[in-house]
Order: sequence, then structure tokens, then C-alpha cells
Amino acid sequence: MYGGGNTFEGIKTDSLAQEDPIKLAEFEARIERGEKIEPTDWMPQLYRKQLIRMIEQHAHSEIIGALPEGTWITRAPGFKRKLSLMAKVQDEVGHGQLLYSAAETLGKSREEMINDLISGKSKYSNIFNYPAFTWADSCFISWLVDAGAIVNQLANAKGSYGPYCRALDRICAEESFHLKYGHHCVIYLATGTKKQREMFQEALNRWWAPMMHFFGPSDKISAHTEVLMKWKVKMSSNDDMRNQFLDMYVPKIWELGFTIPDPNLKKNTETGRWEYTEPDWEEFKRVINGDGPCNKERLEVRRIAEERGRWVREALKAPKAAYVTPLA
Amino acid sequence: MNMNSLDPRVNRLPVIGKPGQIEPKATLDQFGTFEVFVQPKEGKPFQHEGIVHAPNLEMAFVLAKEAFTRRFMCVSIYVVDTRHVYTSPMTEGNTSVFEFIHETPAQPGEKISYEIYQLVKRGKQHVHAGTVQAVTPQEAMSEAKKVFNTDKVIYNLWAIRTRDIRFTKPEEQELWLTLPEKKFRDASAYKAGDKLTEFLDKQKNQKFYGN
Repeated sequence: MYGGGNTFEGIKTDSLAQEDPIKLAEFEARIERGEKIEPTDWMPQLYRKQLIRMIEQHAHSEIIGALPEGTWITRAPGFKRKLSLMAKVQDEVGHGQLLYSAAETLGKSREEMINDLISGKSKYSNIFNYPAFTWADSCFISWLVDAGAIVNQLANAKGSYGPYCRALDRICAEESFHLKYGHHCVIYLATGTKKQREMFQEALNRWWAPMMHFFGPSDKISAHTEVLMKWKVKMSSNDDMRNQFLDMYVPKIWELGFTIPDPNLKKNTETGRWEYTEPDWEEFKRVINGDGPCNKERLEVRRIAEERGRWVREALKAPKAAYVTPLA
Repeated sequence: MNMNSLDPRVNRLPVIGKPGQIEPKATLDQFGTFEVFVQPKEGKPFQHEGIVHAPNLEMAFVLAKEAFTRRFMCVSIYVVDTRHVYTSPMTEGNTSVFEFIHETPAQPGEKISYEIYQLVKRGKQHVHAGTVQAVTPQEAMSEAKKVFNTDKVIYNLWAIRTRDIRFTKPEEQELWLTLPEKKFRDASAYKAGDKLTEFLDKQKNQKFYGN
């Protein structure tokens, strides 16, 4: 067969009852052994559907996440910061490309994914629906939003789907530059003038709530994910990831002499887990469903870019080309 | 639509179409895919890295360079249309793919060269094994079995006609010569430990002397 000769049925049902029990058992045994699932392997429809959703959302987040940071490139303080931020934003868009490709191996075309992003059918990380008011906001994103993303991505890189894991390995290697760069920026603000310190403190006050939302709703209220954990689609619970993030970064923020805007934030020395004011999940829901400060702007910028580029893509289209699913 | 963005360039965007509405993209609006192979070091084999979407082989080469070789070592890359990669079945456990590849009787026609890629570990990338001469892709696989079949279990084979590949030209190899100079892409260029220590010491002293 010539490459990518795979065909996929549409997803008709979530029900596991319709899956072949023998194939399902073999599939689960393979994951249990720690082996990766590759695009040509048999997989349950639910696995395929959930992975497409997850990888696609991840890809959209990279593309949309480049907007609040990209807006600061021209105003970054000095040539070196501009060069670094440009390299970082280029990485993020590159990560989007890698992730779209991984999702494509599961049978959803890039065209469909872009359509679904712009029409609002697919989601992206909620945190990018908030604005980056000052340079310090962009530093917060580079350091702490990327730190959160790394916690999430390192967990997912141990998942079961081969193409996604390989994309994540590459992404995590590049993210180490983002994290160091972000921390570097924040250290310079923290050790700078009074005005610079205030600027970062204000950014921290603005971004803390969205940062707590970043890992998703509390385990107490989030959807049933047992089967996805068993299939190594979801690798860690939302609360565990949030806790890991707090464990790694709260001490680093405090070390710089900043205040985190949550009077209840402290580590419980007995349980080893962080305690905090329960994030406002109603606000989270409201924003993810479209009513945030920047939802409209983010999607409009994407949509207009697609519209403006249309004639270029049409001019370049090779008339004889036919689409096949990429290999791995 | 007035977006009231903090970014004046966003406010200057032209009005096109309607917010939230996109004319559904036609098939291939995003072009077809090309498989990308990278050689990290002189003497090391090429390995598969991923794909790019591109309108043609030449653009695929340019985009592959941007997508996969912005940092780390690289001496050469090549790209090939996904449709020009001939693939074997995928096996698992202790079953080698060679068990499914049968000897092909000699074919009439001119022998051409094929690049053979093999998957040594599931979950990893396909790595270049070598080149064989054959008339058809099936024969190339059968030749690969004769040449590359060792005790090692191989899970998947790819055969690609060498002439379908867009290689790096000798004069293009200098594309990567400046990679080591691009320190701004590297985490090690962002050391602020000294600045941080100095700051922390100063704070400690301030507390101690009460000013």
C-alpha cells in the first residue's frame, strides 16, 4: 500500500459495547505492557475520538497562545528580548504544526480542525482568553503558563499514542528554553526598579485565577475519566497536576518577594498537598463558552488571517494532488 | 467589527466576512503532506521526524528546515511526498515484519534504487537501514529482507524510490552552519542565578540591619 492508505470510519457511538471484545482486550493488554499504539493499529472508537479532541485542543492552544505573546514582540524591551520572544513564538506555532500532524494520523484533516476552531466548535486553552496588558503579563505567560504546560506535557508524553508522544518529546525539549527565558525575564523585573516589581506583581494578580483554572475543573466536579486513565490518554488528574505546579513554582514566586493573591494558599505539611481557595469554576465555564475578555478577538484574528491567506493557498494548490493520511 | 484590542495592529485589520463564520475549507486547502527525514550528524543514519503540509516538494523542503531544524545538530534533511512511501504491515511482540515479506520472483524492467527505513522499537522513529536495487516496491522489500534481516525484530518497513526524494544539495548544507551561533534559542543562554543570589543576599542583609 502506498503511504497513508488508512481509511477511518466516522465516530458513531461512544459505546464500548459495540467494540470487538477480543481486540479490545489485546489493545488494553498492549497499553498495560507500556507499548505505544501506532496509527495503523486497531483502537476503540472512543480512544480515537478522545485523542483527536485532546490533541486538536492542544494544537489550537499553541496557535492561539502565540497571539497574546506575539503582540509584545515589537514592544519587548531591547533587541535581545525581541529576538528571544520571536524565537519562542515561532516555537509555539511550530508546536501547533507538530500537534495538528499528530491529530491528522487519527483521521481528522487539518481543514476540519481549522474550521472547528474558527466556528467555536473546538476549544483551546482558556487562559488565552485573557489579555496581556503589560510586558510583565507576557513574562508571566512565558514563565508560569509555560511551566504549567510543561507539567501537563511531561505527563502526557508518557501516554499511549505514539505520534502524540513523539511530538511531545520534541516540544518538551524546546519548552526548556521557554521556561528559562521566562524565569530570566521575571528575575530581571523582580531585581529591577520599584516600578518593575509593581508591574510584575500586578500581572501576577491578574493571572493567578486563570492559572489555577489552567489545569481544568477540580476532580470533585470533573467528568468521569477512569477509562481514559486506563488507556493512558489522560495521564494525571487535574488536581494532581495543579498540585505539582504549585509545589514547583509557588516557592520560586515567593523567593522573589512577590505575593500570591490567595490568602488561603499554603502547603499542608501532613498531606503534602497544597490548600487554596477553590477557583471560581462558574467563571471558568462562562469564559470557555465564549464570554471572556478576549474570546472574540482571538478567533477573529485567526479567521481574518485564514480569509486573507485564502487566495495564496488557492494559487498554490496543485490540481492533481490527493490527500492521504500522514504516516507516523 | 471594532475589536477594541490592546494591540493597534489588530484594530487595523480589514473587515472581511462575518465573525464566527468560515466558508468550510475545501479538501487540500492546507495542501498534501510530505514526510521529513533528518540526519543529525555526519555518519549517523537519517531518521523520520514528522510531516509538513506544502504545495510542492520544493516548498516542503523549505518548511521542513523551519519546522524540524531550528536547533540541535543537523547536517542534512530530505523530504518525500507521503504517497511515495511504500509501507509494510505493522507487527508486534516477537513477530518480525520479515515473516510477512515473501521473496518476489525476478521482475521484468529496469532496477532502480529504493531507500529502506525500519522500525526497530515500537513508539520510536523509523531509521534508515540502507539502499536496495529493485524494479517494484514489493521487490525492494524482498531485497531488504535479504540484506537487512538479522536476529533483531523489525516491526515495520518503508521503501521509498530514491528518485522521489528531494535531497539537500551540497551547496545547501551551509543552511545549518550557523545553528550553534543561535544561542538565543537555547535554555543555557538564560542564566540569571547570580542576579538572583545577589538579590536574595541583599534582602537578607536588609532584614538583618533593619533598613
